[in-house]
Amino acid sequence: MATTTENIAITPEATEPERDYTYVEDVGNIPRDIYKYVKSDPLGDLPRYSLHIVAQHFLTFLTFLILASTGLTLHFADLWWAPYVMSLFGGPDLARLIHRFAAALMVLASVYHVITLIAGTVQKIMKKQFNISRTQIPILKDIQDITHDIRYFLGKEPYRPKMNKFMYKQKLHYFAIIWGTFVLITAGTTLLYPEMMATIWPNPQFAQDLARLMHADEAIMAITVIVFWHWSNVHLVPGRFPLQWSFITGKITREHQLEEHFMEYLHNLEEIPEEKEYMKKLLKDKGFETK
Amino acid sequence: MGNKPLLKGRKIMNQLTIRCFKEDIILELPKILITAILCIAAFFTFTLSGSEADAADKENCLMCHKYKQIGRIDEQGRKRSYYVNENIYGNTTHRNVPCRDCHSYIDKLPHDEVTEEVNCANECHVKPPFAKENFSHKNIIKVYNESVHGVHKDDSEELKQAKPYCKYCHLNPIYTRVDEKRIAFEQTLSRCLNCHERKGVTQAYKHITHRLRNKTSRSPQEVVQLCSKNCHANMPLMESLKVSPESLESVETYNESIHGKAVALGSQKAADCISCHASSSIHDVYKKDHKLSTVNDANRINTCNQCHENVNERFVQIDVHSGLGREEKPLLYFVNLGLQVVFYASVLGLVGLMLLETKGRKKDGILWQIKKGTSWRGRSKRK
Repeated sequence: MATTTENIAITPEATEPERDYTYVEDVGNIPRDIYKYVKSDPLGDLPRYSLHIVAQHFLTFLTFLILASTGLTLHFADLWWAPYVMSLFGGPDLARLIHRFAAALMVLASVYHVITLIAGTVQKIMKKQFNISRTQIPILKDIQDITHDIRYFLGKEPYRPKMNKFMYKQKLHYFAIIWGTFVLITAGTTLLYPEMMATIWPNPQFAQDLARLMHADEAIMAITVIVFWHWSNVHLVPGRFPLQWSFITGKITREHQLEEHFMEYLHNLEEIPEEKEYMKKLLKDKGFETK
Repeated sequence: MGNKPLLKGRKIMNQLTIRCFKEDIILELPKILITAILCIAAFFTFTLSGSEADAADKENCLMCHKYKQIGRIDEQGRKRSYYVNENIYGNTTHRNVPCRDCHSYIDKLPHDEVTEEVNCANECHVKPPFAKENFSHKNIIKVYNESVHGVHKDDSEELKQAKPYCKYCHLNPIYTRVDEKRIAFEQTLSRCLNCHERKGVTQAYKHITHRLRNKTSRSPQEVVQLCSKNCHANMPLMESLKVSPESLESVETYNESIHGKAVALGSQKAADCISCHASSSIHDVYKKDHKLSTVNDANRINTCNQCHENVNERFVQIDVHSGLGREEKPLLYFVNLGLQVVFYASVLGLVGLMLLETKGRKKDGILWQIKKGTSWRGRSKRK
């Protein structure tokens, strides 16, 4: 009978949490769960990636698949499927050329990315638009976001945190890629030019052994993370199935922006007048009071 | 392109294994009496076959040995075949060598039980072109006997028994013609034919050119197979011979190296055992500390230089047979262990977070995610 008394004790206010409003000038009070009411274009409503980033993603995507399929086959040469996959690439003597060509392309994409990054940042600083919370640089808020989000997943918070343009997951993944690319390029160069690199490394024998180890290990880690983490985040997570079109269009859907990148949406409101009008109209239509 | 050598390599390997097995049986010739060879020659039919094998068979050994059923069951109950296939033998390296040049112990017909091995150091009654002496393998056998594989005075009885000899690796190989850009078979042969007759010079040419392509006429796959199967990969045997720990795991470490992996997948360019452990005289395999050894510290630059460019003092320090043992490379062992921990921790951590997120957002439901993702339709369905 204890349960019934508890049920009675629960007040309506407790089951329906108080709405979390964010006031924006000229727009009104935006409730945190507004993403449930917005209209979204699957191809994306709000700008997120520049054309450069989209191109870089394509280059990485393409070279990663080639590098992984040629490299892993060689690494797991003793497994039953290896000869079949290797024959697709024309045998190991040709596959290694393919692997190097793809690697060169990937290095090129990385250099391209660094140039874009530096040029873009300089441009923003010149225009005095640089805002650290809109970059990939990790800040204290990310740690708060992680704990907040985990609390939400455990049911202890009513809403997800208001996150920046790049949320904690994306920053984690981005730095994993930077570290991975650095290790793979360094180790790969050591493996590709052992004669030259032997003169550079202090202990050539250890460096070569380490490079063999790191190159394979880092690659397997990258593949595992891509398959289990990246794919589930961009393809399987509720609302993203079967895929997000951002990687082609460079745009993000309004719903996604509001849910996971709320702070960035506030920047969007400032920058895009149409968005401001849309939100104003939506708040009026749905009857959220403008205080 | 790569598929062909791969399949070819496999095929040869299979043949080789089978042949190795047969050789083994012959090697273990029993001490007990051999029953008379069953000649199933009911009629002395003088079949006039035009096969080239006839040329070497002046004494007509094939009169009996051409029959497929010729054979017996030996004392161990194994079937033994004494059949010689003319068509196959006629295309092998030894096609012009009369039977008794190698099987010299046979002096009457029908011959007695065979108790001796053939001796490859025999002189054959074949004269190579432009040479006055009879052909012999003496030179190569001399090199071989000095190498690590030759039988030495101070070897233990066990080691002497275990050491390989000619027939262990050489199985009367079939001529294979080399046809590639460097040696265009037909074109080059046509020049020989200006003076020489087709029949003889074709065979001689094949004999020479099939060794020109690489250090050996064998594919890397064959070489690796030959060295590892039954010998260097045979752990109990190697342990009983008290080889060094390095040598004990050499096959394993080679197979894990980039050379080994590429060869296993059919590479024709990657280094095999012979590429590094022998010079062009092929049989001069020595222990690492022998000054004639190609893998000796003094000679390693030249050895690596066969394939690698700009080889330097520091490059040759790199370990080719690199194991990850805790004793030999403690630092690397713990680095590897650390990497494993990092790998599992990060992957499991990320997947854990993902599962938590999936559980946390279960209000949306799995079915919801399939049916109503925003990527499908425009309007949010979360209301």
